[in-house]
Formats: sequence, C-alpha cells, structure tokens
Amino acid sequence: MMTDEKKGIGTDVLEQQAVRQLTSRNVVEISGLSFRYLGRDEVAIQADNFKLKEGESVLIVGKSGEGKSTFVNCINGVIPHISGGELKGEVRVYDKLVKDTPMSKLCVDTGTLLQDPESQVLNYLVEEEVAFGPENLALPPDEIRDRVTEAIAETGIYNIRDRETYVLSGGELQRVALAAVLAMKPSLLILDEPTSNIDPAATQKIFELLRGLRGRKTMLVIEHKVERMLPYVDRIMLIEKGRISLDIPKQDLVNHIEELNEAGVEIPPTYFYAKQLGLDNVDVTYIRQKIREKGIVLAVPERRKAERTLMQVDARVSVMSKIKGQNTEKVLLDASLNLGEGEVLAMMGQNGAGKSTFLEAIMGYLDKTSVNFKVRLVVDGEDLSKTSIQTRGKYITFVPQTFELTIVTNKVESEVAYSLKQHGVKDYKSKVEELLEMYSLTEVRGKDPLALSMGQERRVAMASALGSGAKIIMLDEPTSGQDFYHKGMLGKEIRKLQTLGYSFIIVTHDSRFVYNYADRMVVLSQGHKVLEGTPEEVFLESEKYSIPPPTDYYLRV
Amino acid sequence: MNWIVADAISSFIILVGIGLPIFILLKAIGITGFKYVTRYEKYDSFLYRMNPATKLLLVVLATVVASTTIWWVATSVSLTFLGLFLTLKEGRRKFLLGLYILLMTVSGIAWTDATSFGPFFLHRIQHVVVVWVWPASFASLGFRVPLTLQALVFGLEASMIYMPTVLAGLLLIMTTTPSGILRSLKKIGLPDELNFAIVVTMRIIPKIFDSVNITIHSQFMRGLGSRGSKILWPVYVILAAVMSVMPVLIHLLKEAKDTAIAADTRAFRAFPHRTYMTPMVFTKLDYTAFLIVAIVIAAISVGVLLGLGRFTGYLILLA
Repeated sequence: MMTDEKKGIGTDVLEQQAVRQLTSRNVVEISGLSFRYLGRDEVAIQADNFKLKEGESVLIVGKSGEGKSTFVNCINGVIPHISGGELKGEVRVYDKLVKDTPMSKLCVDTGTLLQDPESQVLNYLVEEEVAFGPENLALPPDEIRDRVTEAIAETGIYNIRDRETYVLSGGELQRVALAAVLAMKPSLLILDEPTSNIDPAATQKIFELLRGLRGRKTMLVIEHKVERMLPYVDRIMLIEKGRISLDIPKQDLVNHIEELNEAGVEIPPTYFYAKQLGLDNVDVTYIRQKIREKGIVLAVPERRKAERTLMQVDARVSVMSKIKGQNTEKVLLDASLNLGEGEVLAMMGQNGAGKSTFLEAIMGYLDKTSVNFKVRLVVDGEDLSKTSIQTRGKYITFVPQTFELTIVTNKVESEVAYSLKQHGVKDYKSKVEELLEMYSLTEVRGKDPLALSMGQERRVAMASALGSGAKIIMLDEPTSGQDFYHKGMLGKEIRKLQTLGYSFIIVTHDSRFVYNYADRMVVLSQGHKVLEGTPEEVFLESEKYSIPPPTDYYLRV
Repeated sequence: MNWIVADAISSFIILVGIGLPIFILLKAIGITGFKYVTRYEKYDSFLYRMNPATKLLLVVLATVVASTTIWWVATSVSLTFLGLFLTLKEGRRKFLLGLYILLMTVSGIAWTDATSFGPFFLHRIQHVVVVWVWPASFASLGFRVPLTLQALVFGLEASMIYMPTVLAGLLLIMTTTPSGILRSLKKIGLPDELNFAIVVTMRIIPKIFDSVNITIHSQFMRGLGSRGSKILWPVYVILAAVMSVMPVLIHLLKEAKDTAIAADTRAFRAFPHRTYMTPMVFTKLDYTAFLIVAIVIAAISVGVLLGLGRFTGYLILLA
C-alpha cells in the first residue's frame, strides 16, 4: 500500500470519484430546505422534497430573482460555504450533507458553470484555465495533463488551447469555462444560464455539448431558452417566488403550458397550438401543416414603415496588424445604415461581427490610438461626422449591455436629472417628474439606483438616457440574460416609446424578440452588412449566418 | 516686471507643470494604452521564455538599484528596461507607450518635487540659479520659494527612483501569465490567498479600464462638459473618471462574487498545496540572468561604498 506522501494529496480525490461511480442512487436529496439571505426578511428558497437520480437532466425555469440560482447554490455548496444566511433542512449530494462537507470535497462531485464566462475564467491561457481545478486538487502532473487533454477534446476547443483567454469570443470562453469544469470530472453538473451571454451559434455548440453529456452526467440546468433546451432534459421544474411550484416529466409539458406561461416562462409556440388543436406531436412542420389544413390564419406582428430617413451612417473601421512581417489592414467594419423616423431596427450577427463597433462608431466612442476609422453620420439632415460625443448625445442616446456602469449618482431622481442638468434645461424638474412617472420610478425616487432590482436599474438607465432629449435610442443587447417576462416588458416599452416618436437601433441575439418587435433588421457578418429587410425577408436567409429564425416565423411561412 | 505679466508667466509655468503629465496621460497614453501595457500577450522572445521567478527577481533588483544608486545609474537601468520593450510583441507600440509613461512619471514627479521638496534641500547649497520668482499673489497657492535650476534638477533625479521599478514591473506583467507570477510568488513563500488576489487583480485590470471607459463615455454622451469650454476638457475627463469609481467598483464587486464561486467550486484552497501540470524549470537563460543580477549587486555595493549612492554624489558636487 502506498504511503500518503507517495500517493500525493490528490489521490484521495481519485478514490472519492472511483467510489462514487460504484454507487447508484439519488444524486441529490433535499428535505425541508429553507434559506434566507442575511439581512432579508423573505425566504429565498423553500423546498420540502426534491430528488435527482443518477443520469437525470432537469431544466429549471422561472422568472429572474425567484430563487433558481439560490436553489442550485444550496446543492453545489455555495450556500452556506460562500453565501451566508439562515439555512434549515437537509441537502445531500452523494449522501454527503452539504452544510457539513467542505467545498473541497463537494466540488469533486459537483461542477458549476455560471452565466458570465468573463467573470469565471481566471487565467490568461486556455490550458492554464482548464488545468486550474485539477491543480487545486493537487493531482499528479500526468493526471492533470490527461484531464486537460480530455476536457479540451470533449468541448471542441483544441484549436484554441494555446490562446489567451481575453481574445476569445464569449462563446469560446464559455466552452473553455465548461472544459475547466469537466476537467474536475464531476458527476453532477450545474449550469446556471450557460448561454445567456453568447450568440446563437455559440449557444448551439453549448447545447450540442450538453446533448453529448446527457445520461453520462446528472444535470441541473437553469435556462430561459426552453424551446432549445427541451430535447436535452428529462424533467422540467418551475421555481416561483422561492418555491418549487411544478416538477414534471418533459412529456407532460403540454398539459402545463398555461401555468408556465403565467409564471413568465417562454413556452414554444408549437406547444400552444398542439394543445389548441388537440395534437400529440409538437414538431413545427407538422403543426404548421395542421394549422393550414384547418384554415387558421396566424397574425403577423405589425411592421411600421418609416416615412422618412432620420439617420444615415457610413462607417469603416480597421486595425493594422503584422502578418508574416507585412503590415496588413484588417477591416473590422465596413457598412452603411439608414434608420427611419419612428422605426425599430434590429441588428443581429455573431459575436465579433461588428455590431458593438457600429454603435460605438455612431456615438463617436472609437479611440483613434487603437483603430483607424472613417464615419459619416447625418441625423435629421445635420452632418454630425466631426462632432463631439456631447453633440451627438443631443440626438442619439446609447444604453450599453452593462447599463449599471452608466449610473453615476446615488439617487434615482438625480440620475434621471443628470442629462437635463448637463444640457442646461431650465425646467428640468417637470421633465424629471415626467420620466419618473413614465418608468414607474416615482416610489423609488430617493433610493440609490444601484441598490434596486436589475429591472428597476435598467429602467433608471433608460429614463436617464431619455433625459438628454435624444430621439434615437441605441440598445446594446438589452435582452441578454433577461427572462421571457422581462423581455416582454421591454418589447412593450419600446413599442410605447415608438408611438411617442422615438426610433431604435437594437443589437440582440434574440430572433424571437426581433420577430415580435422590430420593423426592420440588418445582419452583420465579419464587419459587413449581409442582409437587410423586414424580419420576414431576412429570416428567409439568416440561417446562412448562424441566426436561426424563431418558431413563430416558421409557423407563418 | 509688470504684475500682470508676472502673474501670466507664473500661471503658464504652473499650467505646463501640472498639465504636461495630464496631457500625456490623456492624449498620448489613454485608457486603451494602459490596457495594452498591463496585460499578457503570447509571444516568443527571451523575456517570454524566462522563468517568472527570474523576472520577479529582476523587478526586485530594479527597485534596489533605483533606491540605492546615483540618478544616472537608475536612468541607465530605466533606459535599458525601456529598450527591452522593443523585444516584446508589437514592440514599437509598447516602446512608445513605455516612453510616454516614463515622460509622464518623470515630468509629474519632477514638477512636484521641484516645487514642494526641492526648496528644503536648497539651504545646503551655496549658489543657486533662480529660474523664476513667484509673485506674492501665488504664495497662498504654496509657491513661496523661488523656482531654481537646482530644484528642477533635484526633481528630475528624484523622479528616476521610480522608473526602473515601473518599467520592470510592466515588463513582468506583459511577458508573464498571472498564474506564472502566482507560482513564483508561491516559491518565495507568499500565501495562496494573497497570490490569488494579485492574479485576479491582474486579470481584471484591463476590465477596469474598459468599465471606466464605458462610464466616462456615457457621461459625455449625457452632456457632461457640453456647455463648458474645450480647454476644460481634461478637467471633465478627470471629473468623469472620479464619478466612474462607484459604478465600476460595484460592477466589479458583483463580478467578484462569480469569480469567488468559480474558484471555490474548482477546489481553490482545497488542499495546503497545489500541483502543476507543467513544472517550473530554470533554463540557461535564467542562470545567465542570475549571473547578471549578481554582477549588478556587486557593482552597486562597490559604487555605494565609493560614495555613488543616491544623491550623495550630487550633494558632494554642489558642496
């Protein structure tokens, strides 16, 4: 028998994982769970009884802030080992009581992939990142290398294994993060909104990986993209106001669509029609055929046609780089865009296609020390090409994806008043009242915006942006990480502002949102505009650019 | 001299003294420039191949040299390190940025020291060359003692204390992955928790610059400075940067929670020791560096014994 010293500390980990494989039982068992965060009155999660069998995959759905992440954090040990609070009841993972087992033992069985790849990738090189966990487990170097090689092969990131992590796209980074988790060889995988921050093509790759893992790993997946996740799960669980209000086999979904829809969960439209028509098949082609046979005409979202062009942009952005010793110009963006008055224009494309660069070019944010650019910008007949950010800000406002970074004061009302004061608007107080009212912020006017819920925070950022008096609003990925309910709220807000004369450019990966709320859309690919037209026209060809049309569209063509 | 002219010249001197480093900071370097020189990029030249522990030793050596030797030694070391920027990936651009950082630091520190600390040493000097006598109206701003050539020279020399460490530190950051630094720090006995904090900080430095950039742009877009004169633009940039502290901090703290979860759910601190996929090895290059370090330390020791320690030579010459 080897001595402890010869085995190395990490050998215990190998033994723990070997023992785990020999047992067949419930992976997770929860009874009488209740957790309340420190300083909060309400219980964040309550679960009387929950069991998860070896090899099962469960999709967890529900609105943001209703307790989904808290639930999985009680299983992976983040609660109570990292986040403190009042914890009651029992959570067992592979028979180990989570609250009494250190993270070092829990993480050998349970791997956790979070929403934002940027904040969970800790190292500069891909291989280093994947090796981080096994190195922490103090495994022998050969074992670490084997695990890294295996995880890299499994997640299909062999071609980027020696790259710097900060040059990777969001999708690549998320696969690196998944490889880093898989290198720990966990049997239970917890995925907390793993595709929220990545484009459709990258999302598809993550889902394909999950398909490969299904059955081999036990999985708990929090995901808003119900339609795309359904093929890879066995059960669906709804968490509402901190409680498990529904836990059903996937096959029963069609019998519970109203409950889920009322709870703000995005239900594939095919399920609605299947139920209405009494069909037991939810295949989109089949449903479409039945709808036609029955002579049902589905309403198409209204597309408004702008009467005049409000904004014209021609932008060319490039960087010089050295390839084989030669200075070569790499074009990041070379495209033109027209925005009609009162129009909602959606901009889609893969990560790195040039969408954010386009918005930055319009706002005058580009830095001439890092890129070469030439931008022609005309708004309402006025040439703003050579004007400052401040001047452009009178006509155009921009809410970035990280909108909380735009909030610079400690009171909601002063934040909303910021633009008005800076522009010297004399009767700014009445305008502030109007904006607070419009965004239902009157009750929280005295509060610190950064202490509000994410939904309220976003409304503060929007109200504040509108304070500049600009009539063109640019939103960068406003649907990212949003649940179905909040996306619906955002869509209605955009429609309402449209009737008040505002025009929008919205960068998004959500084709269903575009189909429902955009008048026109453009698709960018490698810095060039490749498609332009109404959603109906563009979705005919968008799959060529890795943008899958939404089911709503398929049902109507 | 007419008091209006004297006031105007005094104001101009102060504006240049304070404005030059700010101008270099905002115009020549910028947030993008700082981001560029504070992150690792993969490349193959001798500094990238050198063991992180050796490079860390070089940073320590640079600090020791700068703090113990006469100004021109520190200047020579600074220029040597600056020259090494040319061996990096996109070396010319990094060399220029390094030069701007050097000019910004030297001009900022030289001005501050010449007008604040320099006068305190002047009583030891027999003959001083007065460059400018501040009008009485500037006394309330702290400009009482005349600006002398000796004070300016003193300021320039004092500024050289910092440059070798700054430039060597940047070379270390640009050529070593944070985990490489972590391993070398571990070798010298620093605890994992502290090392991890350093590594995560290095990882988020570019992110901090990005976040500050977003917040500053957003304030300008919302009208900051729209009614002010263009000449006040640097003031607005600084104001916007100050205003960005809180949102950026809160944004980073939110991300830090995810970072903590990502680390702890991957067994960080699970065991007293970590193992490594690739062992840390010292090559011929490292041993050459060690030899150079030993020679430099010996030379410094001899130099200091001969009276070439920091400022002593200068003061001796003046006396």
